[in-house]
Amino acid sequence: MTVGPLCSLASSPLLASNREATHLGHEHAVGGHAAMIGDAVPAPGGPHDLDELLLPPAALPHEPGRVREYTLVASDKQIEVAKGVTFNAWTYNGTVPGPIIRATEDDLLRVHFVNAGSHPHTIHFHGIHPANMDGVFEVVEPDESLTYEFPARPYGMHLYHCHATPLKKHIHKGLYGAFIIDPPKPRPPAQELVMVLNGYDTDGDGDNNFYTVNGLTFYYAKYPITVSRSQTVRIYLANLTEFDFINSLHLHGDFFRYYPTGSSDRFEYTDTVMLCQGERGILEIDFANTGTFMFHAHQSEFTELGWMGFFNVVD
Amino acid sequence: MESSSAAEKRGAGDLRWRLWALVPILLLVGAVSVFAAAGDSVLGLLGRNPPPVDEFKIRRVEFSPGEIRIRVTNPQRDDLTIASVSVDDAIVPFSVDGPQRLERLRSATIVIPFDWVEDDPISVGVTSSTGIETTEEIAAAVETPSASPKGFFGYALVGFLVGIVPVALGLLWLPSLRRVAPQWLAAFMALTGGLLTFLALEALAEALERQAALPGALGGPGLVLIGVATSYLALTFLAQRLGARGGARRNSELGGLGLATLVAVGIGLHNLGEGLAIGSSFALGELTLGTFLVVGFMVHNITEGLGIAAPAAEEKETSIGRLALLALVAGGPAIVGAWVGGFLTDDFLGVLFFAAAAGAAFEVIVEVGRYVARRAPGGLASGYVIGGFLTGIAVMYATGLLVA
Repeated sequence: MTVGPLCSLASSPLLASNREATHLGHEHAVGGHAAMIGDAVPAPGGPHDLDELLLPPAALPHEPGRVREYTLVASDKQIEVAKGVTFNAWTYNGTVPGPIIRATEDDLLRVHFVNAGSHPHTIHFHGIHPANMDGVFEVVEPDESLTYEFPARPYGMHLYHCHATPLKKHIHKGLYGAFIIDPPKPRPPAQELVMVLNGYDTDGDGDNNFYTVNGLTFYYAKYPITVSRSQTVRIYLANLTEFDFINSLHLHGDFFRYYPTGSSDRFEYTDTVMLCQGERGILEIDFANTGTFMFHAHQSEFTELGWMGFFNVVD
Repeated sequence: MESSSAAEKRGAGDLRWRLWALVPILLLVGAVSVFAAAGDSVLGLLGRNPPPVDEFKIRRVEFSPGEIRIRVTNPQRDDLTIASVSVDDAIVPFSVDGPQRLERLRSATIVIPFDWVEDDPISVGVTSSTGIETTEEIAAAVETPSASPKGFFGYALVGFLVGIVPVALGLLWLPSLRRVAPQWLAAFMALTGGLLTFLALEALAEALERQAALPGALGGPGLVLIGVATSYLALTFLAQRLGARGGARRNSELGGLGLATLVAVGIGLHNLGEGLAIGSSFALGELTLGTFLVVGFMVHNITEGLGIAAPAAEEKETSIGRLALLALVAGGPAIVGAWVGGFLTDDFLGVLFFAAAAGAAFEVIVEVGRYVARRAPGGLASGYVIGGFLTGIAVMYATGLLVA
């Protein structure tokens, strides 16, 4: 039987896809990122475990002098950071990162801090405040407490963390969190998310073994974040990774406005941002398309050690 | 009557004292159970125990198309759980053939679907549930020879080339050796002693080095001693039997052929270790089995044939079948070693193999020494003997450079 040119043309796509299937089935049995979405993903935790760390409380209108109170309790806690891997963490309120603290500019923040851990700790807030509210010199011993009180300013995306020494140890053990101060003129409505980037050195060799967003490896790969295309997605992003100088976020299939520190209207239009330790900012995405879009550190190593996830964009 | 009752009484006394031997054991059991019940509070006086190390022992990493297999053992007292696996610092999906939670000294095989890159260096990491990562660097990823008939034959051929061939060639010196003057034969015997000493030292060093790499619970110089002592005494026993079979000689002294057989056994044990080393290094991608290396081993090992031929030259006549058997005994284990090394690669077996080789060589050195002392004109102190011994060491050292 002879095979004419037309016949071979017609059959070629099928052949190509067949070959590809065989190829995948044998030599490339890995399945790439396809194996890293949904139930197959080695991520710890259940479906809504990270909601409190992902979804910030609503912004309140500007009302100078209003008191905003929070209570933070530092405690030692063993947490599961990667599937089946535990880490002896130091936490604020039992989670790494700690709870989201949110205030509007000119609110009076009152943060009650209780040290229920086994080591001295503090809370050091980024922002503008009196020297004795800085969480550097007023070290809180175990079983002691301290109330931090200061007006919230300036507006932007900030962070808080323990400043007891040794500093590197106290931060990488998990004592940090996101601190949002809203501007007097409210930001436009958006689907708001908080993402704190971190790493865990589980074997104490001064190198991170795992990287995460909001504390659990591959969590948003297992449970993609569903967002709507019809409204802006606003991400409050902070980098609290220790040991590695920088971390980054790269969004697939779209661009975003990036406001460094979120304290001015100046932004950059990009799909990748790089953050030094302690650096943070605000991202605003207007998704053009629906579908599944990946986001991850553009350091491939971090990606494959846990720092990746997906947006499920719907209409 | 009287004497029998005395014997009875003594028997009863004996029994009592034999039973008494159980008392320390019973007391030990009692003390151990008391301590086990209250142990924690006793040790509590000393403070807190440090946490377990939680490191795995990675015993073997195998590569096949689209797959990596890691054999791990729990070397510590506490249980160890395989929680996360990475390849080149990337977390990968995996399955475990065996238990995921390993009790002491239990092993399991981690199976990773992975598109590895031929000839590239690669590292694998296994992380315990407490977050401790054990990593293993592989110099070059190459497909691990599987237990196919082809691989089986391949290792057999390598073992044949580096083991049997050179020994058989060395044995061809036998007719010439039969015609040399007695003092020169003694020199060649001493040369055998020298080369065996070299091999013994080499094997002992190798065994000690390998045991140091074993997990604490398995290793220790004592393991080497077990291997050395067992093979030394086994050969002593064998030497007695061979001597007794020699029959007519007084005090079951070893004859030339008996000694040649012992030397062959000793060298055979050495070649077992050598084959294992070649097989496992090749399987793990650490060794390029080039022509030069095989030739090197052949040159290195031809001296071993000479070592067997020298004592055999004492006998007026030796059948071809007997000589072939000697070559097989001395060289054949290289094939077995290559198989074990290539397909199993077990560090523990490696230590025992090399320790056994050292012990056997030591024993044969003693036999050769006795033989030379008895037969050599001028005894052990003759110039021929001293010169021969040193030449044996020098030859082994020089030809050893070929395989270094």
